[in-house]
Amino acid sequence: MSAFKNRPKLFVWMAILLLGMAAGAAGVIHVLIVGHAQSYNVTREIPWGLLIATYVFLVVSSTGLCLISSLGHVFGMKQFEFIGKRAILLAILTLLCGFGAIGMEINHPIRMGIYTILSPNFSSAIWWMGTLYGVYLMFLCAEFYFLMKGMHKGAFTMGVLGFTAAVSAHSNLGAVFGLLEARPFWHGSFLPIYFIVSALVSGCALIGMIVYFNHKKSGAPMPLKYADFMDTLGRLQILTLMTLVFFVVWKIIPGIYGHPPEKYEATMSMISGPFAFNFWFFEVLMGLVIPLCILFPKKTRTPTGVMFAGLSSTIGIFFMRYDLVIIGQLVSMREGTAELVNGLLQYTPSLSELGITIGAICTCLFLYTVAERLLPLDPEEH
Amino acid sequence: MKNKRFAIVLDTERCIDCKACTVACKAENDVPLGPNNYRNWVVASKLRGKYPNLGQSYTPSQCQHCSNAPCEHVCPTRATFTSSDGIVDVKEEKCIGCKYCQTACPYNARYYNEETGAIDKCTFCAQRIYAVPPRLPACVDTCPTKVRAFGDLNDPNSEVSLLLARNPSKVLKPAMGTNPHLFYLD
Amino acid sequence: MANPKKQKMSRRKFLGISSCALTTAVVGSQVKVLKALAKSGDISEPVAAITKDVYTSCGMCVNKCGVIARVRDGVIHKLDPNPNFFPKSRGMLCARGNAGTKVVYDPDRLKYPLIRVGERGEGKWRRASWEEALDMVTNNMNQIAEKYNRASMMFASTEGTFSEHFFLQLAECYGTPNTLRHPTLCLSSNIQGFSATFGTNPTPDVKNADYIIMSGANRAEALMTPDSIDMIKTDGGGRRKLVYLDPRFTKTAAKADEWYPIKPGTDMAFILALINVIITEGLYDDDFIEENTVGFEQLAQHIKQYSPGWAATECDIPAKDIRRIAHEFANAAPSAVYYQGRRSSFFQNDTQMRRAMAILNAIVGAWDTKGGLLPNKKIALTKHDYLAPWYDDVPDRLDKGGVTYLSEKDGSWPVFRDRALAADPYPIKGMMVYKQNVLVSVPDRAKSLELMKQMDFICTIDITMSDTAWYSDVVLPEATYLERLDPPENLSGPVPVVAFRQPCVEAMFESKTNFWIMQQLAKRLGPEIAETFDFTMEEHIHHMLKKKPEIYDALFGKGVYYEDTEPEYGRLKGKRLRTRSGKIELYSEKYAKKGLDPLPVYKSPDKVPTNMYRLLVGRHAYFTHGTTANNALLHDLMPENTLWLAPSEARKLRLKNGQMVKVKSKVGEEKLKLEITEKIRPDSVYMAHGFGVLSKGLSNIAGVGGSDAALIESKYCPISGNCAMHETFVQITPA
Ligand code: SF4
Ligand code: SF4
Ligand code: SF4
Ligand code: SF4
Repeated sequence: MSAFKNRPKLFVWMAILLLGMAAGAAGVIHVLIVGHAQSYNVTREIPWGLLIATYVFLVVSSTGLCLISSLGHVFGMKQFEFIGKRAILLAILTLLCGFGAIGMEINHPIRMGIYTILSPNFSSAIWWMGTLYGVYLMFLCAEFYFLMKGMHKGAFTMGVLGFTAAVSAHSNLGAVFGLLEARPFWHGSFLPIYFIVSALVSGCALIGMIVYFNHKKSGAPMPLKYADFMDTLGRLQILTLMTLVFFVVWKIIPGIYGHPPEKYEATMSMISGPFAFNFWFFEVLMGLVIPLCILFPKKTRTPTGVMFAGLSSTIGIFFMRYDLVIIGQLVSMREGTAELVNGLLQYTPSLSELGITIGAICTCLFLYTVAERLLPLDPEEH
Repeated sequence: MKNKRFAIVLDTERCIDCKACTVACKAENDVPLGPNNYRNWVVASKLRGKYPNLGQSYTPSQCQHCSNAPCEHVCPTRATFTSSDGIVDVKEEKCIGCKYCQTACPYNARYYNEETGAIDKCTFCAQRIYAVPPRLPACVDTCPTKVRAFGDLNDPNSEVSLLLARNPSKVLKPAMGTNPHLFYLD
Repeated sequence: MANPKKQKMSRRKFLGISSCALTTAVVGSQVKVLKALAKSGDISEPVAAITKDVYTSCGMCVNKCGVIARVRDGVIHKLDPNPNFFPKSRGMLCARGNAGTKVVYDPDRLKYPLIRVGERGEGKWRRASWEEALDMVTNNMNQIAEKYNRASMMFASTEGTFSEHFFLQLAECYGTPNTLRHPTLCLSSNIQGFSATFGTNPTPDVKNADYIIMSGANRAEALMTPDSIDMIKTDGGGRRKLVYLDPRFTKTAAKADEWYPIKPGTDMAFILALINVIITEGLYDDDFIEENTVGFEQLAQHIKQYSPGWAATECDIPAKDIRRIAHEFANAAPSAVYYQGRRSSFFQNDTQMRRAMAILNAIVGAWDTKGGLLPNKKIALTKHDYLAPWYDDVPDRLDKGGVTYLSEKDGSWPVFRDRALAADPYPIKGMMVYKQNVLVSVPDRAKSLELMKQMDFICTIDITMSDTAWYSDVVLPEATYLERLDPPENLSGPVPVVAFRQPCVEAMFESKTNFWIMQQLAKRLGPEIAETFDFTMEEHIHHMLKKKPEIYDALFGKGVYYEDTEPEYGRLKGKRLRTRSGKIELYSEKYAKKGLDPLPVYKSPDKVPTNMYRLLVGRHAYFTHGTTANNALLHDLMPENTLWLAPSEARKLRLKNGQMVKVKSKVGEEKLKLEITEKIRPDSVYMAHGFGVLSKGLSNIAGVGGSDAALIESKYCPISGNCAMHETFVQITPA
């Protein structure tokens, strides 16, 4: 308790996180007691729900952190080096919590452990994704270890391997969706590439927040070096966001042009249908427009500005994940299934699903906050 | 089991949407209760025309036992597999419940069976067709108007082979390239 | 999936009926249900037992299709169609037949005798021993006999159980004439109209008819074997044409070549116009009429007034279509039938409407010939004879004289109930019910409730807590059709068969066969009555098959007995028919003598009042009447009923699809969901039967949907006493 004595803000922060974790625990217990079918709102028609979206969000974050931080210790951009430890640590935690979320979504995680090894299917994108993320996790851990020990050579090697694993695992996650011919909204080579781009956005956003809050907590004003870094990061973020805008536009146009069957209905559900609010408000406004508006003018591209831009786009990105996962399943596979509303299937997450999602994110932040306090994450001064 | 390729041929003109096939299947295969748990189904088309000139058709279906089955390709643990007789089946103990196959199947033929703890789908009633003496799949057998015919395509004289030889037929969603083995007579 | 929560909830259910509380998860496999029941102490843990195939016949509706029960480890795992049963069921089993396993393994089943402890309908019961319950029943029967009269006990029962005759025997031996069977809720007017014409109620040769006109029978949904199958399958004869009239676009309409949304209640106008065209244009079968009928001249005279032009305005079917159909029909004749329905009559003129149908069939010679109407055949079984005790102070049936032709055994429900409520000419104070669900089947539920209220005593024998059981004093659990040895039953028809039932598994819980219950009651009513039941079921079966012992082997060996596989045509050629004249009576002398119209005279149905709709009833293939809506497998197919309304009307009333509406008639008010659909005439609304139940012992459907019986007024056909189901107007308002 004494740790909180002089830090009422930390106390409130931890209390919030613990509450969120309690919500997660409640969700998990509910699932364990009454089973998946009773606690989740996923259906025969929409088998993937919020938890898959959460998983995607968290692993995209992880990948993004890894990719951006590798600018420093892999690609030798000095300015980025100091964030290495924190970025890799958070990458590990987001990945683990992502695994937690998907572990709750699939029915038999233990069978998964056994049979992905005993009976692998090399034509399955999920198999590749899972395996590559496993490898990626190992590299991340090793990299983190070397970083903590100050073993630069090892860290560099692991950084290179981690970077490679991140790119392949993450594009495979895109392929999990992209290889489904049955789902025109997802199908194609778009998603693997798009996932990498959006990971970069996530990475920039999260690193901006890490740096900001890290210095905020010390109470001291941000050293010039870091303020400079924030400016660079902000500009990098403009670049990634603009690229993402480009991707969003080119996702939409082929979805509408010539009314391609099923793809059109799905795309329209986003533009003017049930997902329009999510899309326009969260994805476009919070995810893209607000961050860009903050980041473009030099005046607002302050450390605080970069943090806010990051926060806003992170929220936006969460909805991008959710919308992507759900919208891809909205168009019924055949006439006469379930009740359609305006020709589309419906899905609203259940309380358990919401609880577990909140729990996963809070656990991640909680562990990070604790680690921040326990581990020497500040860079050694050269 | 060798050298067989099972298939079902349907004459939907005869279907009266009585859903005997659906109930028979649920009973035969211990499909859990609940309106969303089923291995086969009947699609009632949208009402055609305007009152009083109306029309409607009924299309029963189930797993198509695709010979290029996306559900099989995507299954990470090879729980979904195709037998040598063409039946696409699920090994329950290997199913991890990732539901990838559910998103991959273009026919919505799969559901998660909570009682067996695995994905479940039509198996062409393997337990019946290989019983001694063999019995027709439950949905084929029970149908009042005998919409479905079941048999071995590798036998040129089987009912299904003859029906397909003598009549033009279609498959569902041919563009998916799944190569289904449920054939609909024109 | 608009509301995934709700659908999921229904998968687990919790039910408590006072002393017999039962909590169980409802799951797919029988074995699990049994385990759950065993856990709650309702039955002993199932022991691994016999695996066998058992021939029997379905009891889910009246068709009695052949069944092979696949018993696995002592549990009925699956019911399969019996291919040997071909002449009747064509080797099929419908959705209901397949759902039969869930009748046996139904957590809602009545498990032991129950005696009411709260108010009637309050649902408070206590478990009783059979001894106590049976004593209570006979004590009350005796008291009623003493206090009032033996005729003050009424016995209501229904068809299809194979055991009904034991129940009727008990009624007769007890000494009451007041038995109420199902025909006046079903086909009594049909039998009346056709018998008055042909001396019998024939069966259309659907399989071979080239041209079928169907009205008042939705054969693709109201399944009748083998008609429903033969109507669809085309490998019987050459392709025929199916013309279908129905105010609703049913699945039969979807299958028909032509569908006309006829104005309800005007079928007779359509038929008369067809006759008019056929006679005025000389399309009838001269020789046939000459040889086989009487009254053609009178008919020709009478029919002049009914031109297609006139009919067109009556029934909303264009005159040119009527003319064309008449031509097509006559051209196809004699392989052409105007298919008579079989079920509730719709209007008070139903008997005369059926007469018109019969006459139309007759004048084109579609009688006793391939593709026409066929007189039924029967395989003779020996009846069980008994000597009922004689009581000399017993009056006539209560409803005697209420309608022109009253069946002594069947009675007429609406007439009977009115008189019973008025105690005119004597009171009815006791009620024995065997599987009839009075509160759901008889129109005007409020009146039926009144009737039950005035009873000193009500006992219901059933397998689940039907509404009627719910309002009874003693409820006795019967063994289900899959647990009984039932006597052979003769299913008459152009190709008659004999069916039977044998137990596939032992009767569960404390349920008993109706036969056992009757024996026990008889024993308690005195030696004279007991003696009429003094035999075992095996003895009874052997007695019935005395003349043809080979039937026994056929039944147990392949589940069915029959002699022919194809109808015999021309069977009655040259023979005297069972009419007065011995011929087909186009003009009915018999009716003339009774002061009835000897030829069908058309009367327009009442106009639908403004801002009101005609309430239609009708079947679908998932339920049988009011008895199967709670079946777990069938409930998955149709979890609730809706009120159909045309889009144009919904717009007028500013109602939205799926919203709850109040439906109000002169006699009742119900609430249910609205379904806006083009499938119905704008002047009518429709709701499926079997919902809006009062009983809380039907856990899947308690409190769901609306009851048609609560809305329909009790009008009836004055000739046959059959209920008129389509003469009720309702108002629709948002609920
Ligand atoms: S049993 Fe036959 S007729 Fe009935 S719904 Fe199924 S396919 Fe159609
Ligand atoms: S229909 Fe679906 S489940 Fe069946 S084999 Fe094809 S893809 Fe697989
Ligand atoms: S073949 Fe068997 S498992 Fe497949 S749908 Fe028919 S009844 Fe069900
Ligand atoms: S029609 Fe259906 S419910 Fe009726 S007897 Fe046949 S199988 Fe049973």
